[in-house]
Amino acid sequence: MRDTDTVLHMIQELIAIIDLLIQTLSVPFVQRALIGAFLIAVVASTSGTFLVFRGLSFMTSGVAHAALGGAALGLFLQHSGLVPWFDPILGALLFSVFVALVTGYAGETGMTEKMEVAVGVSFALSMSIAVFLMYYIPPTQVPQIWGYLIGDILLLTNFDVALLAVTAIVLVLITLIFNKEFIYVSVDMEGSIAHGMNARAYHYLMLITSALAIALATKAVGAILVYAIMVAPAAAASELIKSIRGIFIAVFVIALVSELMGLVASFTFSASPSAIAGILAAFSYVVAMQIKRLRNRVSINLDTLPQHDEEVNHFLLDALDASAHEGYDH
Amino acid sequence: MTQQFLFEVKDLAVKYPNGELALYNVNFRIESPTFMAIVGPNGSGKSTLLKTALGLIKPVRGQVKVLGYDSVRENKKIRKLVRYVPQRDRIGLSVPLKVKDIVLMSRLLKKPPPRFASAKDKEMARDALKRVNMADLWDRPFPELSGGQRQRVLVARALAGDGPILMLDEPLAGTDHESQDMIVEALGEYRNEHEVNIVMVTHDLNPIHTLVQDVLLLKNTVVGVGTPCDMMNTELLEKVYGPTARVIEYAGHRYCVTHDSGVDRHY
Repeated sequence: MRDTDTVLHMIQELIAIIDLLIQTLSVPFVQRALIGAFLIAVVASTSGTFLVFRGLSFMTSGVAHAALGGAALGLFLQHSGLVPWFDPILGALLFSVFVALVTGYAGETGMTEKMEVAVGVSFALSMSIAVFLMYYIPPTQVPQIWGYLIGDILLLTNFDVALLAVTAIVLVLITLIFNKEFIYVSVDMEGSIAHGMNARAYHYLMLITSALAIALATKAVGAILVYAIMVAPAAAASELIKSIRGIFIAVFVIALVSELMGLVASFTFSASPSAIAGILAAFSYVVAMQIKRLRNRVSINLDTLPQHDEEVNHFLLDALDASAHEGYDH
Repeated sequence: MTQQFLFEVKDLAVKYPNGELALYNVNFRIESPTFMAIVGPNGSGKSTLLKTALGLIKPVRGQVKVLGYDSVRENKKIRKLVRYVPQRDRIGLSVPLKVKDIVLMSRLLKKPPPRFASAKDKEMARDALKRVNMADLWDRPFPELSGGQRQRVLVARALAGDGPILMLDEPLAGTDHESQDMIVEALGEYRNEHEVNIVMVTHDLNPIHTLVQDVLLLKNTVVGVGTPCDMMNTELLEKVYGPTARVIEYAGHRYCVTHDSGVDRHY
């Protein structure tokens, strides 16, 4: 009798948990957060992966900050009455495209190092413009600019979700159609041009779509989550996985799992879901590095164990003997 | 029918991106078809000449014609004819492309997107890899290969493509003897079977001098053009490689000995 009691009790508890889960899932802002997490994972596995392939992980933070400068410009134009219809998001998109163009121009020869420098310079320029304009914007409006950087996945509006969905769909389509071109540009720009492909156009297409995606994602979920999810999962996956399709899938999974765990954590104890997701994503990279190191150690132990060669030893010893007898200086 | 020229170069001058002159007063003509070597030490403008011919760099003076097409105005037409292999270190290793993906590039790059590989494409790629003895590594990630293996895969990329001109930039640099022999043999064989032009940039003529028909000796300007035997001339080689250059004869072949070729280490 007692056994059936405990079983019954457990079932009741389980039902209660499921009930709570269903209740939680039916709350609109939770639903929006879950959809947002899914869409950001899509953005990471497309744009994020290509940027890491291209050696441009730094561009994520460059573009997000440039977007801040753009948002400041938008607010300035609105409030000064110069261009009243100029929404801050337009400015953000404009500036992110600017960073992509400067970066692209520096990298037309395929040199990644030059592109990193260009990102740094255009990043600094946009931030300077932002700070410069803040001086001329009414102080009450300034927090709105910073708010651009600190969006939150729990505060998504329906409009944000729609914007993210369109971004993700466009990115997936472009990736499906042009993934070979983007990869060829990353691997062998010179050879691609020499074989007649319009590599320059694909080079800019990739950078501009990535920049727009980063700016829009930043607007929706905030810069912290975008940095964390765009770079770390792609870096982790490309350390370990040796097929391109595998990397795309792994990035999506790592990004989604980090975000979901972030959301769960924010419900169980009060914590920023973006921060938790960021920590987990960064942790995935550390783990990947460790696994890679371990794997290398194992493969050295098993595969390339040098064969002990008696004959060579004899030769070596003879030679050493001979040279010792002849009294060579070494 | 008039004679067709693979290269027709008139009064060419090209600058490096840093503004220094890479090439000046370059004039020569090479008849098609040929197996040609562009020889000279580092920094002599060999790669620059190839890139100018492909329209990747614009000359500051003069012109290059490739099979009659001008390198600036008609580079689209030239690029349809060419299969190009850049220097090995220009190939990015951050993407885990498979060996087959690299070899298929030369065929897929000439198609419109989405560039799917047909059965024929795969067959040609496999066949090209067999020629350099790399068919077993079909599914291996390219970045994991050794330098020599990577170079062989890149040569296979050129062999797998279509188009009457193969341009290879330093395909023998940094390879061991096994890879070097394999590459040279594969190129020679391919050339015997197909009516194509092969242009190879190299700082060492010795491994290929029995195969090539034309040699362009380059040191920022043309030092000599002719057959390999004509170019195996101490006076000419000294102009390019400095006073330590020598020519030695062994088993009926002339070899040049320079600091660049590495042969002098056994002196």
